[in-house]
Amino acid sequence: MSPSLAPADLLNRVERDVQRALRRSRNGLRYAAGTTRPKVGQTPKDVVWRRHKAELWRYRSDERRYRPPLVIVHSLVSRSYVLDLYPGNSAVEFFLREGLDVFLLDWGVPDEADAGNTLESYVDDGIPEAVAAACETAGTDDVNLLGYCFGGVLSLLSAARHPELPIRNLALMATPVDYTQMETITALIRDGRLDPEDVVEPTGNVPPDVIENGFKLLKPTAEVTQYATLWENLWNDEFMEGYQAMGQWARDHIPFPGAAFAQTVEGLVRANGLVEGTFELGGERVDLKAITRPVLNIMAERDHIVPLAAAEPVLDLVGSKEKEELRLAAGHAGLVAGRKAAKVTLPGIAGWFKEQSEEI
Amino acid sequence: MAKPLWRKAFDEVDKRVSRPVEAGAHSDLFGDLVTLQIKLARRAQREVERRTRRVLHAVNLPTATDVRRLSEQVASLQRQLRELENRQR
Repeated sequence: MSPSLAPADLLNRVERDVQRALRRSRNGLRYAAGTTRPKVGQTPKDVVWRRHKAELWRYRSDERRYRPPLVIVHSLVSRSYVLDLYPGNSAVEFFLREGLDVFLLDWGVPDEADAGNTLESYVDDGIPEAVAAACETAGTDDVNLLGYCFGGVLSLLSAARHPELPIRNLALMATPVDYTQMETITALIRDGRLDPEDVVEPTGNVPPDVIENGFKLLKPTAEVTQYATLWENLWNDEFMEGYQAMGQWARDHIPFPGAAFAQTVEGLVRANGLVEGTFELGGERVDLKAITRPVLNIMAERDHIVPLAAAEPVLDLVGSKEKEELRLAAGHAGLVAGRKAAKVTLPGIAGWFKEQSEEI
Repeated sequence: MAKPLWRKAFDEVDKRVSRPVEAGAHSDLFGDLVTLQIKLARRAQREVERRTRRVLHAVNLPTATDVRRLSEQVASLQRQLRELENRQR
């Protein structure tokens, strides 16, 4: 039996419930009407390099205390604002507060003109040029590189193919290397049931809805659970801000350039080329053992997009002597956004980079 | 704060339902269905375009295919410009 409440407590509880019901109605109406779209990616920044649709941003800060600068390489299938969601829930803002000089390499939204972009466009041209631009802007000899999701794959390939690149430390976050461990759409493509031409649209790119549906299939009941969580917390303004921003990001995918997709399918997914050591770019085999700089592999234990087993082999594949692993009880996006990220993931990443850097 | 009763009940049902649903979504049969759906949707789209093209062209209206061809030409020009730009570097 539940303990009886004193009249004052009962009154307080009724008052709280009435207030929550009012806020729930207000937030519910706003959510349904879509009048409170979250303002994402608000940290002030400057474009310091641009090539076609790719841009390198440097975030403004008066608190830069460490060098070399941190260059974050974003994925090809999602929007980079997940790293700068909104004030108070932003990985970029966190790194700036920690005294890091933060750059972000955003690939832009591909269209027909980018359908012919190969992995070499990103690995041999985009990343090396952006790294050089970051060095020049920050006035340093080298950078720390952090690749997120497929941006991690691009960073890994670029570091392996260009050992001369001035990268002091390399961190990879939720980076898939063992494609035998990937599920649903990736599995269908791996098994040969789907070919690249089945999913590439007339623009020459893989449309965002294919990518979004592929992610949804990984956890078919997730959307229903999210609605239950929304209903439970509809009264909470802070929760609503985070929920809407994350929801917007999760539905905001971008096209995957067709030529890069075909290489990914053949070389990475079907041949599992990174683990087997057979992956080729520009007609040459990519040797991940050529990476000898310190490497940090950050993995999320509850990541259903890049399962732990797909990201785990990174450290066995690189030739570095100094290599570390950071496993976190988070999901794919939870590595960079949300309360757990602010408390666990981001301090861990910033701490590692700070240890490997010098104070200005 | 303790979860409300309805949420506890929901979580219990979710725990029991989500695993079999996920297993189903990762099964061979479901994979075949998804593959079939993607291929049929692509074929249906092509068929609709083919039929509407005839009608729209008959009344001198441009079709999605015409617009696509134009944007392909623009994209091709953009790529040529990029190549020129790259050669100048």
